[in-house]
Amino acid sequence: MHTKSILNAVNLSCFRQQTCLFKSLHFSLPAGTVLHIEGENGVGKSSLLRLLAGLASPASGEITWNQHAISDWRANYKENMHYIGHSNGIKLALTVTENLQVMARLALAKKPIIEPLLSSLQLQTHAQVQAKYLSAGQRRRLALAKLFLFPRPLWILDEPLTSLDEMSQTFFLARLKEHLALGGISIISSHYALILPDTDLKKLRLGAC
Amino acid sequence: MLKALWFLFRIELRLLLRRSQEWLYPLVFFLIVMTLFPIALSPQPQFLEKFIPGCVWIAALLASLLSIENIFFTDIEEGYLEQLLLSDISLALLILIKLSAQWLVTAVPLILLTPLLGVLFHLNLSVMFVLCVSLLVGTPILILIGSLGVALTLGLQQQGVLLGLLILPLLTPVLILGINIVLQMQAGLSILGPLAFLSGLCFLAITFLPWTIACTLRISLDD
Repeated sequence: MHTKSILNAVNLSCFRQQTCLFKSLHFSLPAGTVLHIEGENGVGKSSLLRLLAGLASPASGEITWNQHAISDWRANYKENMHYIGHSNGIKLALTVTENLQVMARLALAKKPIIEPLLSSLQLQTHAQVQAKYLSAGQRRRLALAKLFLFPRPLWILDEPLTSLDEMSQTFFLARLKEHLALGGISIISSHYALILPDTDLKKLRLGAC
Repeated sequence: MLKALWFLFRIELRLLLRRSQEWLYPLVFFLIVMTLFPIALSPQPQFLEKFIPGCVWIAALLASLLSIENIFFTDIEEGYLEQLLLSDISLALLILIKLSAQWLVTAVPLILLTPLLGVLFHLNLSVMFVLCVSLLVGTPILILIGSLGVALTLGLQQQGVLLGLLILPLLTPVLILGINIVLQMQAGLSILGPLAFLSGLCFLAITFLPWTIACTLRISLDD
């Protein structure tokens, strides 16, 4: 169970090479909500997610987590967030098990219990296989495994459903729903419709500035 | 925390050893360059005894430049650097771990190989030993300054050329002190002065550069 958290974005704008990607963006995400970011390619979805993850700083505006600006409370914010970018963030030369261990160690989490997680992600037969021999969908599943390895209230995910098969998509959406029911918050960019009945689903469409 | 750091250090070692080109190419490069010097200069023993230590240092410098060039490349491609940035462990510590593994895998074999070259080039035992000590203290600085250069030139085209232009001047003091240690030894003087200077530089680099590299990487990725 996550404590009641809230993520606010006030007057956000982002420029890239002097062109404006978006400006004056406002939203407020209380516990239990999911924000679905839509828009065509190159419209700034990934840039927005990188801002929200604290990897980049906005041209103007502020992002706050529980009323604290994330630029000031970076350490605390990092502990509460999962970010998975469109490159998966896994080391291709490491095996599936090693990758999961690295994820846990980087988060200073307890020694992870890996087997049940692998079987729910259908990677159990690949536990000792280097990630470079996995298919794109399997790599994506391995990257998403981080979300379930150690729970954190905020998920920031860039195109999590891409290259997943239908079964994995259903599995992921079910887990996302559980996460929201426990008071989690999620920000997801996706070209697919997020089918999440009975949840607080907000949509944000990025367009020309 | 310490357990996590030790684990990540072993993982970095494993990663380096799995890609043999990471440590094999610089080592072979070092060997080939070293065999070229006597051919280009002079094979006379008195001459070699005098100039080979300097040649070893220059070859080690170039080999470390070669090994350092792609140090962050796959980490960025795979999005792993972003995960390091968002880790609960400070990025400077993670960088320090990564570079220690890099040093152990690329520089230590080179130092171990040096006595072998010494025999080949008629160096006497004490000079050989002092040369190894100077490399042992000097190579961490080469790797740290090298990766600062890589972090600064991240994402630029023609990174390799610029990297050389940027860091070779910065490495000159290390080279001067390193060779000086051996020269003092050969002249029968105390080596303590230059050795203390080089060790000082080494500790300074280990203390401040991981932190500087971490800041530089954070700025490079903020884009």
